[in-house]
Amino acid sequence: MALLEIRALSVDLPVPNGAIHALRRVDLTVTRGTIHGLIGESGCGKTMTAMALLGLLPRGAQIKADRFAFDGMDLRDVAESLRGRRIALISQDPAAALNPVLTIRRQIDDVLRAHHALPKVARHARAVELLAATGLPDPERVLRSYPHQLSGGMQQRVVIAQALATGADLLIADEPTTALDVTIGAQVLALLRNLVQARGLTILMITHDMDVVAEVCDSATILYAGTSIEDGPVAEVLTHPRHPYTRALLAALPDAAPRGAKLAAIEGQIPPPFKPIAGCAFAPRCAVARAECALRPPPERLDGAHRWTCLVEGGLDDKTAA
Amino acid sequence: MTKPLLEVRDLVVRYGSNGPFRTQLRPAVSGVSLSLAPGETLGVVGESGSGKSSLLRAILRLVPSESGAVLLDGQDWLALSPRELRHARQAIGVVAQNPFLSLSPRMTISEILAEPLLARGDRAGAAMQERSAQLLLRCGLPADFLPRRASALSGGQAQRVAIARALALDPRLLVLDEPTSALDISVQAQILNLLSDLKAESGLSMLFVTHNLKVVAHISDHLVVMRNGEVLEQGPTTELLTAPRHDYTRQLFGFGLRAQAVAV
Repeated sequence: MALLEIRALSVDLPVPNGAIHALRRVDLTVTRGTIHGLIGESGCGKTMTAMALLGLLPRGAQIKADRFAFDGMDLRDVAESLRGRRIALISQDPAAALNPVLTIRRQIDDVLRAHHALPKVARHARAVELLAATGLPDPERVLRSYPHQLSGGMQQRVVIAQALATGADLLIADEPTTALDVTIGAQVLALLRNLVQARGLTILMITHDMDVVAEVCDSATILYAGTSIEDGPVAEVLTHPRHPYTRALLAALPDAAPRGAKLAAIEGQIPPPFKPIAGCAFAPRCAVARAECALRPPPERLDGAHRWTCLVEGGLDDKTAA
Repeated sequence: MTKPLLEVRDLVVRYGSNGPFRTQLRPAVSGVSLSLAPGETLGVVGESGSGKSSLLRAILRLVPSESGAVLLDGQDWLALSPRELRHARQAIGVVAQNPFLSLSPRMTISEILAEPLLARGDRAGAAMQERSAQLLLRCGLPADFLPRRASALSGGQAQRVAIARALALDPRLLVLDEPTSALDISVQAQILNLLSDLKAESGLSMLFVTHNLKVVAHISDHLVVMRNGEVLEQGPTTELLTAPRHDYTRQLFGFGLRAQAVAV
């Protein structure tokens, strides 16, 4: 059974004279023991989806969903009580996530004390074990250190150890390698992959980086303007993208075109978040859009485990196929 | 071979080494040499602490160099007096990483583009407005952006304004410091396309500094890979891509979609 099941999630943030449609329609299914990528550009709703899962939406946010379940429980009721217990967050910038005036020992111990009734000696042993599990070579020295004495990669490993200390089974990793150098980022990704295998964790990997997705994710969902437009196994989504937006995004990567040749940039901009959208959110920028695309929501297309929403691009196993 | 536009010889930059009681620190840039031919794009790539930013700042004379030489169009750049430098700097346009930090939120786009022209001593007026509009158009934005402020622009639009400003004084060299790192993929593609257009149209020479090897490889004719303040390897982009001499260069290509393409 899926650990996370979301159908038709929408989040509106009321503002004077209207509402910001932070999420318009998000469908997301994350299977236990996998890494699922949540991909999109700025403002597409990646972080808002994470905040909804963690029960951290701004006050007054209106959540609607056909299904919004974690391990069979409705997240609208339990998100806050699950946060830090079953669902933990690894944020983008480890230097900002750690307190600069406390030792690593204190910061990991705080988490262990909050979640487990363990005596001090056992907590110390656990902290050492967790740091070792994240591949830090000298855990005792790291425990004595302050964040500024550690490199960015080491700091991110400490933050991952903190997330493990909660005992959570779902880790939400929000751009965990964006603040790191590429060679260090590769090591952190390898660590996350190992943790999923060794500890049966599930990771929701929020990223805009297609290389991160190709490297570690089993499956992925593409978001555009608060809408999930395509999802499926990574091998399908990245190598045989079906939604015109996913195709355009992959074609815009600097290594997608021959060196020096023009890149296939996507003209136009994402629709403003306060604007209601009747049809497909991508239609105004889409190369293959027809007039109907802007008028009504695009149908859901299926090809095995690969799912996308597009009027023009059809699939083999469409439920909607006539 | 044509005379290089920019030439750097054995440049050394060291921080915190002034004063009699200071210990000598390891140099941030230690003996870097490179050269950029007119109309070409030179990519400098490296990770944090590689010295790429220090190199850039030393070339712009924002930090002092300990030894070595920087020649711009044959002119000894490091020997210029502050007064001469102020004039000579018109030959270099600079684009920074984050347009929202490099563009003043209090000024209109029109004022932002006029600033370098006014600093040069041009008269404000209709001709300057026309010039600003031309600069914007050249960077893919219509003239009706002139009365707006940077805060009303998207990241890609703001970076176009920053590039337009850098081009205001017709520089011979455009220096770009991580110009697409703060942008989304689709917008990054727009900016990279704009830069190749500018290069094709007006033979602009560019020094492109970034940590992203895939981005810089797309646009550069020559590449310089830096590590620990030194040049690890340099050469024509195609050569570095197909046969990198160092495993580190290969690692910089990172992982993911087309990471293996380098190995072939």
